[in-house]
Formats: sequence, C-alpha cells, structure tokens
Amino acid sequence: MKTHNLISILFLGLLAATAHAGPADDVLLPVADDPTVSYRIMFFAGSQYDPPGKEGLAALTARMIVEASTKQHSYEEILDLLFPMAGGYEASCSVETVVISGRIHKDYVAAFQPLLLQAIVEPAFDEEELKRIRSDMISYLENTLRYSSDEDLGKAVLYETMFAGTPYGHIPAGRVKSLKSITIDDVRAFYRRNFTKLNYVLGLGGGYGIESLNSLKEGLKKLPPYQIGARPHLDTKPINGLQVTIVEKDAPATAISIGARLDVLRGQSDWYSLALANSWFGEHRNSASHLYQVIREVRGLNYGDYSYIEHFANGGALDFPAPNDPRRQQIFEMWIRPVPHAWGHFALRAALRELKHLIDDGLTEEQVLEKRAALSKYVFHFAPTTMDRLGYAMDDKFYHIEGSHLEHYRKVMPGMTRNRVHEAVRKHLQYKDLQIVIITKDAKALREALVSDAPSQITYPTPRPAEVLKEDEEIINFPLHIQPENVHIISGKSLFE
Amino acid sequence: MIRLMTGLTLLLFTASALAENVFPYHYQTQTLPNGLRVIFIPMSGSGLVSYWSIVRTGSRDEIEPGRSGYAHFFEHMMFRGTKKYPGPVYDRIVNGMGANSNAFTSEDLTAFHLTFAKADLAKVIELEADRFQNLHYERPEFQTEAGAVYGEYRKDQTEPAFMLEEKLRDTAFDQHTYKHTTMGFEADVKNMPQGYEYSQAFFQRFYRPENVALLVVGDFDPAATWKLIQKSYDSWKPGYQAAAIKPEPAQSGERKAEVAYPGQTLPILDLAYRGDGFAPDNRDYVAARLLVEMAFGSTSDAYKRLVLDQQKTETIFAGVPMNRDASLFEVTAVVKQAEDLPTVQKVLEETIERFQTTLVDPAQLAGVKRHEKYGFLMQLDSPLHTAAAVVPLISAAGSIDVVDRLYKALEQVTPEDIQRAARKYFIPQRRTVIVLKGTIRP
Repeated sequence: MKTHNLISILFLGLLAATAHAGPADDVLLPVADDPTVSYRIMFFAGSQYDPPGKEGLAALTARMIVEASTKQHSYEEILDLLFPMAGGYEASCSVETVVISGRIHKDYVAAFQPLLLQAIVEPAFDEEELKRIRSDMISYLENTLRYSSDEDLGKAVLYETMFAGTPYGHIPAGRVKSLKSITIDDVRAFYRRNFTKLNYVLGLGGGYGIESLNSLKEGLKKLPPYQIGARPHLDTKPINGLQVTIVEKDAPATAISIGARLDVLRGQSDWYSLALANSWFGEHRNSASHLYQVIREVRGLNYGDYSYIEHFANGGALDFPAPNDPRRQQIFEMWIRPVPHAWGHFALRAALRELKHLIDDGLTEEQVLEKRAALSKYVFHFAPTTMDRLGYAMDDKFYHIEGSHLEHYRKVMPGMTRNRVHEAVRKHLQYKDLQIVIITKDAKALREALVSDAPSQITYPTPRPAEVLKEDEEIINFPLHIQPENVHIISGKSLFE
Repeated sequence: MIRLMTGLTLLLFTASALAENVFPYHYQTQTLPNGLRVIFIPMSGSGLVSYWSIVRTGSRDEIEPGRSGYAHFFEHMMFRGTKKYPGPVYDRIVNGMGANSNAFTSEDLTAFHLTFAKADLAKVIELEADRFQNLHYERPEFQTEAGAVYGEYRKDQTEPAFMLEEKLRDTAFDQHTYKHTTMGFEADVKNMPQGYEYSQAFFQRFYRPENVALLVVGDFDPAATWKLIQKSYDSWKPGYQAAAIKPEPAQSGERKAEVAYPGQTLPILDLAYRGDGFAPDNRDYVAARLLVEMAFGSTSDAYKRLVLDQQKTETIFAGVPMNRDASLFEVTAVVKQAEDLPTVQKVLEETIERFQTTLVDPAQLAGVKRHEKYGFLMQLDSPLHTAAAVVPLISAAGSIDVVDRLYKALEQVTPEDIQRAARKYFIPQRRTVIVLKGTIRP
C-alpha cells in the first residue's frame, strides 16, 4: 500500500505534463516548488535533413544558434550576461531532431529568457564564428572519434553501416569534407528551412509563471515561416547474414558493437515486452544483467557488456539515456567493451551465443516475475528531474503516445507473462542477420579466424571454475557461419572523411 | 534504557539551515560510538532515497610500492558480497528493488551509492551494513575481478587526457601518493591478480567505521532511519589504521615533460601549479577557486582572446580541486596548431601576471561569486544529484557543515585576496608544464 502511495507521488509530474498540454504542441510541466525553470524547444531539424554533401549541417546550425552571437549581442556579451546567473542553453542534434534546452534559477528568468529567445529567433550567423565551431566539429571526427575512444568509434561505424543508404546513414557529427564545404549561406538556408514555425515542440517546466510562457510563445512567432517539405523516406534494406566490418587501427584492445534494425517503437505493446527481456539480458550499466554476468563477472574479459532496444547516445558517460532522441526506426544493439585482442573472437562468440539462447529459450518464469517487479520501480530513475520528465513528455508527442510512456512502462509490468515476453523476443529479435563492427589491431588475422570459424581458444591468466571451463568449450566452438564476402576491413584513419 | 538513549539521541540531532546559509535543506548529523558518522538530508516528496557510503580512502592511501590502484580495485571487490549475501544474491536483491546503484573512486575517497524507492530503505541498510562488515571473497573471484579492472584501464588508455594526467602526476610529485592516478600504474594493475592477501589487509585497515560516513538524502524519516542504522552498524568494530602518507617537499623549481600520444590529437598544454588542500578556512585556497574562474573561465579575457577571437585554442579551462592534501591547480589549453603552443603559453602566463599586479574589478568578482553560488544550487535537483554535489566536500573535510563554510568564505573574498592567491600559487617555482602531442600528424 505504501508503495502505491509512493508511486502516485512519483508520477504526479508526468500526469501534470499530460493534463496541461496546450492546444498546440506545447508540453507544460509546472512544478510549483521547483526553484528552477526548464526549457526545451525540440525542432524537427535533425541530421536526416542534411543535404547530400553537407553532412553535419544540422548539428553545425544548432551550435551556431547556441554557441554564437545573436543580432542583439555578441557571443562574448552573451557569455558575460549568462555567467552570473549560472545558467545557459545548449543544443543537441540527433537524426530526427535538434533540441535546444536551458535551465535557470527562477530569480533570473526575466533576464535569461530573452537571451534564449534571441538565440533561437535572431541568430547572427557570423562567418568567423562558423569557422570556430566547424573547426571543433572537424577535430571531433579527425581526432576524438578516430583515435581516442574505440568504443564510440565502434558504435558510430555500426550506426552508419546499419543505416547505409538511408537518411539515418550518417552520424549527426557529419563528415570532414562535408563540414569543410559548409558556408554561412548553407547555415542560413538550413535554418530558414527547418527552424520554422509549426516545426517544433515547446516544452516548459518547473517554477515558471504564466507570463514566461506567454512571452516565450510570442517570441517564437518570429521564427521563419513554415515550409512544406516531406520528411525523408526511411527505406531500409534487410541485413543478410552476419555482416562484419573490421576497423583496423593501432588499438590497445578489441572493441565490439553488434546491431540490427528494430521496427518496434515505444508506445507499442511489444516494446514493453522486449524492454523486460532486454533489461534482463543487458540493461545499460547494470551489473545484474545476464550478458554482464557471463562476460565480465564470471570470466573477467572486460569492463562491461550491455544491450539496447533503443539508440542510446553518449552511453559511455551517462547512466540513463538523455531524452529527445526519438526515431522512426530503432535499433537492437549489443555493446561489448574492449577485450584483449586475443579474446576478441571468443567474446564475439560468447555474446552471440547468449543472444541465441535468449531468442531460443526466452526467460524463465522466475526471471520474468523478478524483472517485472524490478522494472516497476527502476523506471523512476529514467526521469528524476523536471528537465528529464519534460523531455520524456515531449518524446511522447513524437511517438503519438496518449499519456506517459514511462507511466505506461511501469503499469504494464505486473501483467507481463513469460509467453508474452518470449513471443515478442522471437518476433522482433534474431541472431542470424546482424551488423557487427570490430575495432582491432590485426584485422587480417581476425578475418581469417572468423571466416574459417576456427575454435577460439582462450587462456585465462588465473584459474577459472570447472563449470566455466566446461561452458567455454561450447563458446570456443560456437559456429558463426560468417561468409568471406561478408567481412570487410577498413582503415580507421580515413573514417568519416 | 534503550528507549531513553534513543530519546536523548534525538535531542542531540544538530539542525542546520540558518536563514543565511546557502545550502537550502535542513540536515542532521549523528555519530555511532564506533565512530561511524551519519548525515541525513531529508527532501520530502520525491519518494526516492539516495543512500551513500563514503569511505575516506582513495588512491592517496596507496603507500606501498607496487600497490597503486588498490582503492579503485577494492571498489570493485565490494560487489563480490558476503557469506550471507554473496555477490550474485546482492545484485539480485538490489536489482529486484529497482535501485540505481553504482560506485566510484577518486584520490581521496571511495563512494558507494544506491538510489531507490523509500519502501526499500530498511533492506538497503541491512545489505550495506552487511557488506561493509562482512565482505567475503575467495581467491578465484578476486583474480577474475582483476581482469575487469584491467579492462577498465584499457578503456581509458586511449584518451589523451588520461595519458596527460598520468605524466603530470608522475612529474609533479616525488613523495606523495598523488604521484599516481586513481587507476594506478599499469604494471601494478596488471599484477593485481597476485594481491589477494594484500587486498584483505586493505579491507581490514580502511573499511572501518571511523573512516566512513553514511549520507542519506531524500524522502525518509530521519529518526526511524537512525534507529535502523544503529541496529545494523553498532557491531562494526573500529580499527582504522591511517596510511602514513609521505608529505611532498616544497617544489624548488619549474618542471617540464612531454607526452607522445600514439595517435592523432590536438596538442594539449597543461600548466599545473602546486596548490593547497581543500580548506574553507584558508583564504588563499578559497580565493584561488574564484581566481581561476575569473582568469580562465568562459567570460575571461584569455578565453575570449584564445578561443573566440584568435581561435588558437579549441578550449581552455582551469580548476582548483577539493583534495585532502596539497594538490595541483591546473590551467589547460587544447591548442589547434602545435606551432601556437608558445604563444598560447605566453598568453596564459601574462593573464596570471595581470592578476598578480592588478586588483580585479569588484563588480566582476561579485558576478563570479553569484555564478558559484547559483551553479551549486542548480545541481540540487534530486536526491541523487544533491548527494553527488556534497560528497566531495564531505570527503575532503569529514563533515557537511563545510558546505556552508565554503560558500560563506567565498562570499568574503576580496580583490586583495585574489591578488594574494595569484602571487602565492601561480608562480613558475610551483609549476609543472606538460605538453602532449600526437605521434600522427594530420
């Protein structure tokens, strides 16, 4: 009974988001005792709208809005004005959307809100500032992504190979050559076409007053007029067999990412069944999940192993996904953190063998019961703050969810059955047609090992229990049936050029 | 007798949050006879509780040669469980309550935290009290976990910032254990599977009640929680043995080192000055915190010149850490072209000189103070975030009243204090300069 009361309290905010939604697309989440005000303005202006040859333009335009001058103030003045308030605004770009978000103590709303509005509706788009931001973005591709995080590199290559030839086929960060070709006129044109009236969802939450809301809505009327333009068609081709991309570079360890496209979206009944199965299999950063137990806890191969049924940006830094990265098509993904090179083939086999078991055998009755009870409460952690809840409520609009996704997630858990979960797993997940990306040092040797399906012997530095070694025998010989024509080696040096 | 004791204890709770204090929540503190400190910060309404065990031991306490990285390794071992609740059982229970659970290690602390629905608080107290008193693991589990720790090292070692930090610490310190990173020297990490007996001694020495503070933040009843904590932690035996950390002798002159990053990166210039440990009563230390923001923050002349106008650096940033012992006050610039490194260094040095010779504008100083205060307040938006915001302070000073002491001290800083801090800390004699460059050129 106590739990029910608690849960009611926890979801008051989410209910408010629905109850107060305005006649248009505004999402309002008033929280009277919140000393801050949260803003989120989500434009349907993500990287899928990048013109060919101008990959990165959406992300660059977003940064030109929040990290540069406006017609009223130079960027230096803006920084000076924002600084004593300890507030600010930022942008993030995903494939579908650009969200501009900001948070301020309510003592400073009157000073902050005009700055935010000016950035959105009256950006200066100065040539010198374009050079600065473009240079940062090129450096991210040339230096950070290619060299300093093999895990992020593996994921980026995975997303590109999975959606090759579609509007989702390039990462929002873009391409080096494309970025170099972008002019200030390109930015202006992209802005005029996509940052328009009727092409955004306004989210406002926390301790705001009605006058703030009204002036915000009034201010956004200065956006360029809406232009009719069809959303790019997302025509995805099937994956045939295990398609392996090996990125060769001087890596200290082997990083593995595995994925397949997934048509189930949140709000649909099967999504919640899959979410339960996935949470048991590989909940992000959760040490109780199965994959983590098999690969890390029992064998000590690496630092962690996770799986996903939605794209999870910036997973290396976040415990829970950031909202406002909605998609028309989702991904099933497995993230195997770096293992010593000699164990790469073994780790891949271990991961795929567990996926096969999940699909063939499903979860036990007990596992389903435990997981549904756990998730009923775990869901709270996805949106602990006003800013997070606001973001989730806006995503609900994108997915056409009546009410709240997170509330629904919690509510359907008690009714989950083993059969329902297994049916959804079998219907939507599979282990034969997958994209696999491996970052490693000796690509040729790995390729040979993969296509010959040779046993992947493993030698541990310290003893392991007999039952582990016995199961290892099965992993060592687990057949992958990777066809030679499906293994491609690429150099890490030229990626995203 | 027990009832009377409890009543007295309740009266002894220290209430805080005077009107002029910055920290907006009332808090209460208590100490068990065995020395375990307990801090309660009630925040009603959310239905969530964040429960933290803060061990005031970090890589700073790793004094034996060959044993760097053990505080962090031990953070991992704490999840291997007890005889009553072995690791997988612990995981299953915590997972079953839908808790968000994690841990981290720094130079000075190892922190374990769970955030969960308030109905599960009693179970969490039982689980945490059990593992802190009765941790049990066998050699094979220990050795397997060592593999995961080396995996974490492998994950970090491709980052230029990680390589730079390793070199900086090794160069700037001779005696003090701040010489190594929290991750430890690679050779020591590799050798960890051989340290089973040492690990048990490590637990016995440091995981003792006098060296631990519990922090409970969120939607709970402090009096009832205190009773549960008393019951579960009372039998925990004291016996903390502080590590004999060698003090670092005063630096006698500038030090320099270069790092060759095996890959492509923008060059990084790091100017690290030997500073002081965290001390809200040390006016110089407090002033230095504001000074670095004024000199190198996003509104500074140096930032505007190097990042925005000349675009010679991608970014610059500076920080004064909250360490228990004297650590490094760093100014870091990510430079776009290697040939600009000397020019950038010159601008950074000239900036410091200006603060040494010219008093800052009081209005600008007031702005920085407001930025610090509101920046801190903005973090306190959930039980977990509130706990995370105060844990470094509790770790550095051992108590929570330090939060308001620090913000009051910041409020009192004058332009003269800023100038004195610039003259005291930011001098070549205290400086270590590290330059990192990639081995592959674009």
